[in-house]
Amino acid sequence: MRRIVPAGRLRRRLAVTFALVAALSTGALALGTYLVVRDSRLDDSVAGALAQARTNLVLAGTVLQGSSASQDVSDLLVLYARRPGFETVALASGPAFSTSFTFGTVQIPAGVQGLVRSGDLAYERVEIAGLPYLVAGGQVPPSRTELYFFFSEEALHDDLAQLRTILLVGWVVVVVLSAAAGALVARRVLRPVAQASEAAHSLAEGLLETRLPVDADDEFGAWATSFNEMAEALEEKIRALSEAQARERRFTADVAHELRTPLTALAGEASLLGNHLDRMPPEAQRPAQMLVDDIERLRRLVEELMEISRLDAGSEDVRTEPVDLGSLLAGLLRSRGWETSVSLRANDVVLETDPRRVERILSNLIENALAHGGHDAAVHIGRNGTDALVEVSDLGPGIAPEHLPHVFDRFYKADPARTGGGSGLGLAIALEHARLLGGRIDASSEVGAGSRFTLRLPVAKPLRAGTDADERESQDERR
Amino acid sequence: MDERVLVVEDDPSIREVVTLGLRAANLSVETAADGREALTRFRAEPYDLVVLDVMLPELDGLEVCREIRRGSRVPILMLSARSDTLDVVVGLELGADDYVTKPFEMAELVARVRAALRRAHDRPDGEMLRVGDLEIDPDGFRVTRDGAELQLTATEFRLLVELARRPGQVFTRELLLQRVWGYEYLGDSRLVDIAVQRLRAKVDAEPDRPRLITTVRGVGFRLERGR
Repeated sequence: MRRIVPAGRLRRRLAVTFALVAALSTGALALGTYLVVRDSRLDDSVAGALAQARTNLVLAGTVLQGSSASQDVSDLLVLYARRPGFETVALASGPAFSTSFTFGTVQIPAGVQGLVRSGDLAYERVEIAGLPYLVAGGQVPPSRTELYFFFSEEALHDDLAQLRTILLVGWVVVVVLSAAAGALVARRVLRPVAQASEAAHSLAEGLLETRLPVDADDEFGAWATSFNEMAEALEEKIRALSEAQARERRFTADVAHELRTPLTALAGEASLLGNHLDRMPPEAQRPAQMLVDDIERLRRLVEELMEISRLDAGSEDVRTEPVDLGSLLAGLLRSRGWETSVSLRANDVVLETDPRRVERILSNLIENALAHGGHDAAVHIGRNGTDALVEVSDLGPGIAPEHLPHVFDRFYKADPARTGGGSGLGLAIALEHARLLGGRIDASSEVGAGSRFTLRLPVAKPLRAGTDADERESQDERR
Repeated sequence: MDERVLVVEDDPSIREVVTLGLRAANLSVETAADGREALTRFRAEPYDLVVLDVMLPELDGLEVCREIRRGSRVPILMLSARSDTLDVVVGLELGADDYVTKPFEMAELVARVRAALRRAHDRPDGEMLRVGDLEIDPDGFRVTRDGAELQLTATEFRLLVELARRPGQVFTRELLLQRVWGYEYLGDSRLVDIAVQRLRAKVDAEPDRPRLITTVRGVGFRLERGR
């Protein structure tokens, strides 16, 4: 049985794995890069802001000289406003001053204010009107004036966002490219596998001359070479085997053929001798009778050998016509004198088949049943779906299970010591004829209870039908 | 009784035993060992039946059969090597009446010889039969068309008479084997097919499109009622 694997499943798996590995590694790299850059940029921003705040506070100390008068604070803020990069909110004893309408006391985070009031320099990141700011604040010594500086971090955030976008796009591109590369590589790597699978399949179908191309110096090349060596050895072996078999069969056919002429003479002589047995001296009568009987046995054996050689040669033609199994069997039993020993139970079955072959099969099966089955046999004709069935059963000693699979083997005798009347070819011949008709024969047996041989024939025309008698007729007519 | 049979067979043992067997059946037997001798003998003296081996030295059995049929309706029984080779078919097409396969039983050979002789001599008696433009005289063993006699062998003649006695009735191959060849059960139906073919070639105006003897598919043959 060949397991059917959808083509490309392994290829897809390889490509996905490839892409996954690329995605994970480049993803980790990009993420790491981004985090490092972001942290250092944010730290830089804090450091810059705090340095600026300190400078501003020192400047404020110089400008205010301890005063916390509104006018002074206002002047200071005017001074600050000229500097770029930050906006300032001042909280002195009077009202709060601011360099911008955007910022006022409301925007000062409480935590920062608390720390500033206890005399520390503090900072915090806040979002004001949807924009990111870093707020740094401190007291101007020695007064209690508090100054808060708002540094915009919008540019920083924009930079980080841009970096994120670049890294993400880069990552996606890498993943897609690696998936494509993976699929490509997988296909190239797996092509020899697909070829080998195809080659093995065609070898199995009997195309023994199938070979793989050896076009690379890699592992696959070596593999293809050994595959080819195997195929060659196989081809050689099978050719030798089939030649031997053909020789053997030809020999059998030749032997049977050569035996025919002397045997024809022998058979004739025996039958003449048989007519004069009673006029022979008494002591010669028994040996003469045995001679006559044995020649008849030999004649049947050679006839059966010739028959099976013809079947082996495959030169048999099947000539079908409508056959009523019941009347065929009744006629067979009558002509062979089996009417008393064989009981017939027949349903009405008519099928298109070759009557001479069916008759041959059934006479061999019945003969076998009578020889090994205690001189009584029963035949039943029936139908099973699209098959016509003929069961030939006996009540003989049965066949042991270890012998059952071999009953159709040529010259197989279950008991080597038993020399039955048959040639040992009867069942083999029956099976070959059944196959020729598109049917089969099954044997079942129970030791002590008897055996049953079932012939199954397709009710429709057999596939390997030769020309129908009437078709042949019309062909002849056209000739 | 003492009908004359010519046995043509190259193997001396078979030749002798067939001779003995046929003599035991009260037939007068002469022999020939090859095809040329067979034709020489056959032309020199009249015979009632020829037993002819297919494989013969000098001139093979099929050639001999063809030569004999050129001018004679004598029953011919072929001895064939194998029943399924072309030999049988070709022999029957050349006009042999029957065949026996080697190795055969003497009783079978004698029975076939007797049946063939009976066909040739026991003329079916009865009145003149008229089918289409054919006039069949069973007693006189003659078939004429517009006064001209047709050359039929004994087997072909009996086949025609059998069919012509019940025009319109379908005859199965088995029935014809029984009535014409005298076989009890399942002979080779090729005998019937080929004999019908040969008969058509002689009696049907257009053997390619037979109108007198027609095939009934899957059943057998029928002689059509008058046209």
